[in-house]
Amino acid sequence: MKIIGLDSLVFGVESVPDAARFLVDYGLTPVDITASGGRFEALDGTSIEIAHQADPRLPRPPAPGCRLRATVMGVNDTDTLAQIAAELGRDREVRKLTDGSIESVDDSGFVLRFQVTVRRPFSLAGEISNAPGSPFLRPINSLGVPPLGTIIRPRTLSHVVYFVPDVLKAEAFYVNRLGFRCTDRFTGAGPFLQPGGSLDHHTHFLIGAPPHMQGAEHFTFHFGGPSEMIANGYRFAEKGYQSFWGPGRHILGSNWFWYFNSPFGCHIEMDADMDMHDAQWKPREASLGADTSQTFLMKMRPKWSPGPGTPVNGDYA
Amino acid sequence: MPDQDPDSGASASARLCPEAEIVEGAARGFDLGEDGVDTMFVVRTGGVLRGWRNACPHIDGAPMAWRKDAYLNADGSRIVCHAHGAEFLPETGLCVSGPCLGRSLTSVPLTLGVDGFVLAEPRK
Ligand code: FES
Ligand SMILES: [Fe+2]
Repeated sequence: MKIIGLDSLVFGVESVPDAARFLVDYGLTPVDITASGGRFEALDGTSIEIAHQADPRLPRPPAPGCRLRATVMGVNDTDTLAQIAAELGRDREVRKLTDGSIESVDDSGFVLRFQVTVRRPFSLAGEISNAPGSPFLRPINSLGVPPLGTIIRPRTLSHVVYFVPDVLKAEAFYVNRLGFRCTDRFTGAGPFLQPGGSLDHHTHFLIGAPPHMQGAEHFTFHFGGPSEMIANGYRFAEKGYQSFWGPGRHILGSNWFWYFNSPFGCHIEMDADMDMHDAQWKPREASLGADTSQTFLMKMRPKWSPGPGTPVNGDYA
Repeated sequence: MPDQDPDSGASASARLCPEAEIVEGAARGFDLGEDGVDTMFVVRTGGVLRGWRNACPHIDGAPMAWRKDAYLNADGSRIVCHAHGAEFLPETGLCVSGPCLGRSLTSVPLTLGVDGFVLAEPRK
């Protein structure tokens, strides 16, 4: 049973125009948008879907206050869908939706949908650094910094993080019922999980938390590299959005990160350059703390430049 | 320019903005430390202006807006931390939903200057 990864996350929001503007400013492309909501796509067609929180078409949230209404995962073919339906049908309701997808629920109450993936294959080189001695260098005369104003787009929906009341039970469901494996673990917090059809360090991360906190902690898209991700975050912050944590680089997964507050009741992240692992990988375990969750952390500051015209003490006035 | 960060412990008050600029059901943040993050924000509900530190009780000092000055929910009935969605009563600062349920925002005392400016007073 090979699940490829996240195809979409569905949110119920207070204000469709506010959430729409936020996602467009983040870099996603609006598709089929109306006053009642719509879809915001990355380069490969994975997306965030939004609708007004009172929209009766939305599934119910797993807990009050959670704006994430459904997590949509992609698979390769209808045979896999049938396998998932049979497996989950053993002990819970599985509904077939009119678009061919199936809907059920995980052991924590999060609504899950499965569909033949919408992911469109694309080929677009990521960031390559000209490290002396490296066999992989940028083509000669190509630029590390793209021209000012170059559009930056998220490439694909990367991962979602859940607060769950019973983390062992939640992990067992994904591992035993849906074929995920644990790649690494934060003791006392929870596991990073990779589905059978992905090499990404994680598409899911579970954090044990009291029941009143149940919901999404954050979600994120992969960007083309650290410079692109940080440039995108910098533009986002300049538009008035609130940085929460970052930019920095995680240790487990090695992904560069930058987290922002959002109107989705959870953080939104931008990430880049995550490790890839296969079944040979032996999961590590670390205790969660400042030193284990990032290799470094930086803080945004307004641009300035030393030179004629700057006060004697530069920007440090 | 603000004279003083209300957290610095010094005695002068900080000049925020003309009182009339913050209308009913609106919020406004103030970056008194001038380091790119609001140190506090002011909300008007039921006609009354109240000041709060921009610091969520859930995670020590976490900034709360999702966009410049976006501290409230859509109908203005709650202050919201847009990190994990905690909701606070605008009258008391008490968290009524979310991870820091039952805990409160820290208030920043406000006074009105003779010229109609709102002043943030240092905490005693
Ligand atoms: S930091 Fe405010 S709700 Fe988590
Ligand atoms: Fe993340």
